[in-house]
Amino acid sequence: MKLDRKSEAPEIPTASMADIAFLLIIFFMVTAVFSATKGLELKLPSDDEQEQREVEEEEAVFIHVYGDHLLVDCKPMEVADILPYLQPKLIRDAQKHVILYTDSEAKYGRMIEVYDELAKTKVAENPYPFTVKNISIPTQSEVQNFIEIFGSNPFETHCQE
Amino acid sequence: MKIIRQRKSEAIIPTASMADIAFLLIIFFMVTTVHDVDRTSINLPSAVTRQKNEQGSAMVVLWKQSDGELIYKFSDGKEQSSVVRGPGDIYLEASRLTFNNKDKQFVIKADHDIRYEKIDEIMDNLRKAGATNLLLLAHGKSEEKG
Repeated sequence: MKLDRKSEAPEIPTASMADIAFLLIIFFMVTAVFSATKGLELKLPSDDEQEQREVEEEEAVFIHVYGDHLLVDCKPMEVADILPYLQPKLIRDAQKHVILYTDSEAKYGRMIEVYDELAKTKVAENPYPFTVKNISIPTQSEVQNFIEIFGSNPFETHCQE
Repeated sequence: MKIIRQRKSEAIIPTASMADIAFLLIIFFMVTTVHDVDRTSINLPSAVTRQKNEQGSAMVVLWKQSDGELIYKFSDGKEQSSVVRGPGDIYLEASRLTFNNKDKQFVIKADHDIRYEKIDEIMDNLRKAGATNLLLLAHGKSEEKG
């Protein structure tokens, strides 16, 4: 007797594919972190740059952040008024330094708000006809070094003169 | 004339496109997943002019707990962040990294509510350790947490 051999087309078993796919989805959903990976760039001076960085008071614009308040060249100001104030000064001298000094007691978020405002002139969609190229952020230890040499904090006595 | 009633068809949920949808979701999560070196949920300050951080940047985390205690964390950019004792430890860790790579980027991830003197202390220690490239992590104006 001749046996009929059934010829079945070879198939890749796909029955468990949906299970595997959903397992992978669950894995990625659980492990995914939509984290913040963006921020404001800041260049710190290296030790050899430090000596060349001496800036005369007259050459710079001083921004003093204390508490929720703001003094720009000793004038109380709102954050939105900083760039219009800087405009004529920086058009005259594009290299003018802007010194951002934040009080120890001030909130970090407030310092970022001011720094972000200055950085707006560095982006491609800069609405102003100038760029704040030189932003200096002195640290407390740099200020302490200054006090040791000159006997006073330049950022606190600056407005009393 | 007698109308022949068609046989009732069984109700079936169409599953033909299920695999396509599943794989679409897999690809989406594979592309968007970031295996972050730090997952501390922090109220970051907000900013408009943000730059993307460099791949493998070291990270310094300052996290204010609900009781007001400040926690410092550090990651070299490869390992998950771990708690360190304070700015002194961050100085040592940063020195080790800048010794091998002078241009190594350091990301500061800190609560917007922290007193600036704490950030200043960190920046000072990073500068002393030879770091020159910093990124102050911030979320966009419309986002909430980082």
